[in-house]
Amino acid sequence: MRAETLKGHLDGILLAVLEPGPRHGYAIMEALRVRSDGHVDLPTGTVYPALHRLERAGLVQASWSADGGRRRRVYQLTPAGRRALDTERSTWRDFSTAVTALLQPVPPAVSTS
Amino acid sequence: MSGPGPPEPGAGPAVEGYLAEVTTRLPGPVRARTGIVAELRSGLLDATDAHRSAGLPPAEAALAAIREFGDPVQVAVGFRDEIAASQARRIAVTLLVTGPLVGLLWIATVAASRLGIHLAPPWPWTGQSPGLSVSIYLVAAAAGVTAWAAILGIAITGRLTRWLPARPRRAPTAAAVAGFGAVSADGLGLALLAAQLAVAPGRLSPVPAAVAAAASLVRMMLARRAARRCLAIRASLT
Repeated sequence: MRAETLKGHLDGILLAVLEPGPRHGYAIMEALRVRSDGHVDLPTGTVYPALHRLERAGLVQASWSADGGRRRRVYQLTPAGRRALDTERSTWRDFSTAVTALLQPVPPAVSTS
Repeated sequence: MSGPGPPEPGAGPAVEGYLAEVTTRLPGPVRARTGIVAELRSGLLDATDAHRSAGLPPAEAALAAIREFGDPVQVAVGFRDEIAASQARRIAVTLLVTGPLVGLLWIATVAASRLGIHLAPPWPWTGQSPGLSVSIYLVAAAAGVTAWAAILGIAITGRLTRWLPARPRRAPTAAAVAGFGAVSADGLGLALLAAQLAVAPGRLSPVPAAVAAAASLVRMMLARRAARRCLAIRASLT
């Protein structure tokens, strides 16, 4: 799936990946791949600025940790991030229900003339 | 553990070359870049490890990690907007916090000068000449512009970020306006002080006046530098 297709949903996707618990950048990327069965495969480098934007917006908080020798920046959801994820979910549900209904093949209308 | 710490030793020339390509395209102070580069480096090393455990030899694993991270220009552009926003926010917060503090120093100067020499009029700065009272309104106006531009800058770089259309130049513009507003307010305050010193130096309480003047001078210089930096960052955004 291309980056442009995901545009507008990346925030919600990143928040969802962080819902189970804190992760560092590369682990977030791997989780994106695994949870989407490999369909979401963004350039890894572009995920980092997106995470920084979420941090600035107060939806995630980040801290450096040195777990296992390598120093990594670990992200976790804030309470505001959890609320944003809930909103994102219900918006997506409404949107996808509507679009699924609209894209459903409909038998051609019978001419009544 | 708060800072990024010293660079990871395990990054080879290919990874460092990639990081350098990103770094040269990032605006702002070195401090803002250091953390970003350290984070990308640890991510690239994680990616290299992943490719090595998938069976690639070290050098090829590093190249695969770099390919996976994508075009360094694209990564730099993503961070450029972020640096612009976070620098603008930091400057706006600093201006908004220091403004009232410096203002209080000037009010204390006025109050101390009045109490110290028992002047009959309630406001020693007015009544000297019409020019002085006009200047006081100008200082207030400049301080008002500073405060509103700073509040705007803080608002659009915080929680509102997600709801606003992405216009990366907006935040550095607001911060630059706030910075030049602060330069004007402090400059006018200092000019007023100079005028008072020329007309009636004996009516001033010297210690608070000196403290207020020093604070305004420092703030004016820092605000000028910050505003120019915001304009430079703004110009680097496409």
